[in-house]
Amino acid sequence: MKDVLVIGSAIAGMACAVRLAALGVHVTLVSPFPSERSQSVMAAGGINGVTSEHEDGDSVQSHIDDTLKGGAFLAGTTAVTGLCTRAEEILRYLESIGTVFSVDGKGRPMRRAFGGQSHKRTYYCGASTGKQIVSALVMEARRFEAAGLITRRLFSCFHSALIRDGICYGAIVFDEGRHAMEAVYADALIMATGGQNALFGKTTGSTQCDGYAAGRLFLQGVELKNPEFIQYHPTTLETAQKKMLITEAARGEGGRLFYERDGERVFFLEEKYGPKGNLMTRDVISREIEAAGRKVFLDIAFLGKELIDSRLAEVRDICAKYGRIDVYKDPIPVTPSVHFFMGGLAVHLNQETNMRNLFAVGECASIYHGANRLGGNSLLAALYGGFTAAEEIAGREAPNTRPDFAYQLREAQEELEKSGSADSPFPVMYIRDMLAESMQAYLGIVRDGERLEKGLSDVDYLLGVAKRIRYDSSVMPYYNYSLGGILAAARATLVCAKERKESRGAHFRADHPQTEAAFGSATLIAFDGGAYRVRFDREGAYER
Amino acid sequence: MNVRILRQQTPVSEPYWETFLYDGPEDNSIAGLLDHINYHDDIVTADGKRTTRIGWECSCLQGICGSCAMVINGVPALACETMLRDLRGKEAEIRPLRKFPVIHDLVTDRSSIHQNLMKSNMYIGEYQPPDEKDREKEHRHQYDAAKCLKCGLCLEVCPNYVNGNSFYGAAFANDCYLAASRNHKKAKEIAAIYGEHFGKGCSKSLSCMDVCPMKISMTASMAKMNAK
Repeated sequence: MKDVLVIGSAIAGMACAVRLAALGVHVTLVSPFPSERSQSVMAAGGINGVTSEHEDGDSVQSHIDDTLKGGAFLAGTTAVTGLCTRAEEILRYLESIGTVFSVDGKGRPMRRAFGGQSHKRTYYCGASTGKQIVSALVMEARRFEAAGLITRRLFSCFHSALIRDGICYGAIVFDEGRHAMEAVYADALIMATGGQNALFGKTTGSTQCDGYAAGRLFLQGVELKNPEFIQYHPTTLETAQKKMLITEAARGEGGRLFYERDGERVFFLEEKYGPKGNLMTRDVISREIEAAGRKVFLDIAFLGKELIDSRLAEVRDICAKYGRIDVYKDPIPVTPSVHFFMGGLAVHLNQETNMRNLFAVGECASIYHGANRLGGNSLLAALYGGFTAAEEIAGREAPNTRPDFAYQLREAQEELEKSGSADSPFPVMYIRDMLAESMQAYLGIVRDGERLEKGLSDVDYLLGVAKRIRYDSSVMPYYNYSLGGILAAARATLVCAKERKESRGAHFRADHPQTEAAFGSATLIAFDGGAYRVRFDREGAYER
Repeated sequence: MNVRILRQQTPVSEPYWETFLYDGPEDNSIAGLLDHINYHDDIVTADGKRTTRIGWECSCLQGICGSCAMVINGVPALACETMLRDLRGKEAEIRPLRKFPVIHDLVTDRSSIHQNLMKSNMYIGEYQPPDEKDREKEHRHQYDAAKCLKCGLCLEVCPNYVNGNSFYGAAFANDCYLAASRNHKKAKEIAAIYGEHFGKGCSKSLSCMDVCPMKISMTASMAKMNAK
């Protein structure tokens, strides 16, 4: 292939782009904003990998085992084996392009402990690992931009994929500058659009990751996988506008969670799970905090100023700025928040969806994390997925036909013009907020069939009215045209959560609290002439 | 609280001021204030005239992505970390960054920052650490330098930066330092470009350091580049 289109310019998209460029493939890298604005810069804690300098007793196999177990055995062994086996190469690559890892006196990258892992294998850059990787990748992408192999296209948003007879030929992109839709043909389309935060409103993530792309592609026939598995991060600081992540590194470095009872601190996790209780997986801790039913705090003060300043400076600063908390002295009030989407576009081992030449990488794809993701595995998966897709694409023949998509383009353009001429004061954000309220209420940490039904009926109502309303056209057109896709993604998520009548990983059903062997495979959902069809991947269709 | 905002509908239309009444919570940021004003059944100015919703850019809402850079009461700052409690005076006056073309209202096109770095071929390439003594000394500043948001606040406030045609400003100088110090084999080559597009044009007002949301020490970047 010679010319491909990557939607999304954060770590997964850039990793894919720089690898494609290195293999001589031209990439058009589409995003509304530069990479520095992406959610990847918010990834704090680190990136996992077992290298030749591993901790005593650790091994790649152990990383594989921890990842499979953390994901409650829902991820495929082959996929996870590939991910973990290549981690050392990925870490070396990041080092080679100049990523500023935290290093010991000899200049060797250091590791920290992370939840759900049997060994210290999380490499990190202070408390801004994602940002440091973005900075290094931006430099590397820039090198290929200067050489003409990567062309960035800013102020551009995904609208829909160009799909005919199961093959993808590019995408329709909304150009904010020209206020117009444009068909961008490509030998392959790679989606790197992140998670589905907008389904839940206030989360730890970026306002730019909204799930539209997954929802829209679903409506175009692309299958989704495991959307009901949504990770709650147990420790966030809540403000008026969002829930700010307090990195797991704070607990990796020794931070302790407690609540107060009769003036005494109760270290409830250590009481229940032993000395490593604060480093249980995120789903367990989130449920324990919810079950505690009272205000929970994270104490890092006892770690001392020196350690906090050197390794947890970002935590210190967030607390001071947004919560007016002095972490040297006072504990941090924490609350769980939607943080990561294990589900997304279903992809095969080569990151390809059920549509030929349509790939997905990073958080928008679902493959490595099963029912729950380990901290430090998402950055690894973003890079690994990006590289894997790139290598597959570079070695593949471009399709020799190019169907005409003039009709689809005209339709998108007409829809844009119609919504742009609406004289309505009604803001589309009202619908988004109503959706978020329902999802928070009915698809929380603890779920049950009855509440999921209520969620479904809310979303069906929104789907019913959303199309009939005319929206205020003075907001960016993207917000108006993205609503339908976001609602579809939400509905698919609720349908899958309802069908999975068991508890596993991040999906906890109060009415089905046990893990059931019958549900030991991934959930797949397809849009079929208006119906949302769920099946369980017992044949392992996406395990190859 | 009255909030004056400099509006502009399209890149080529004329800018104009509009005043809004903010009646939301006091413990809020400018980003929160903008959301609050935008979020009503209808949007009206302080004198009750219906108007369009205010365009502005955000992503992380916690001061680490640089999207919401704008000028607040005369000071270039990130809206999400400018708290109402810290504002001087009883009014807020918000306008877009002046050194970049306006796309819509408070949204500006800052791609010149990236374009100048690309034109100068500014990248690390292969990590080539300096010897052990320097490595330790430089690591902390490299980490800080790599946190640059490319938000443009340093360029907005800079008395020497006009439009980025020849003098590229602090954001550029900072990436020069990062590339040169992570790959010391390129240091000489980078030092020359640095001199041409930063060193000789900087009058050392250092106002860039006052507004940098990441508090990157430009004096450290400059001293280290001058030593290359």
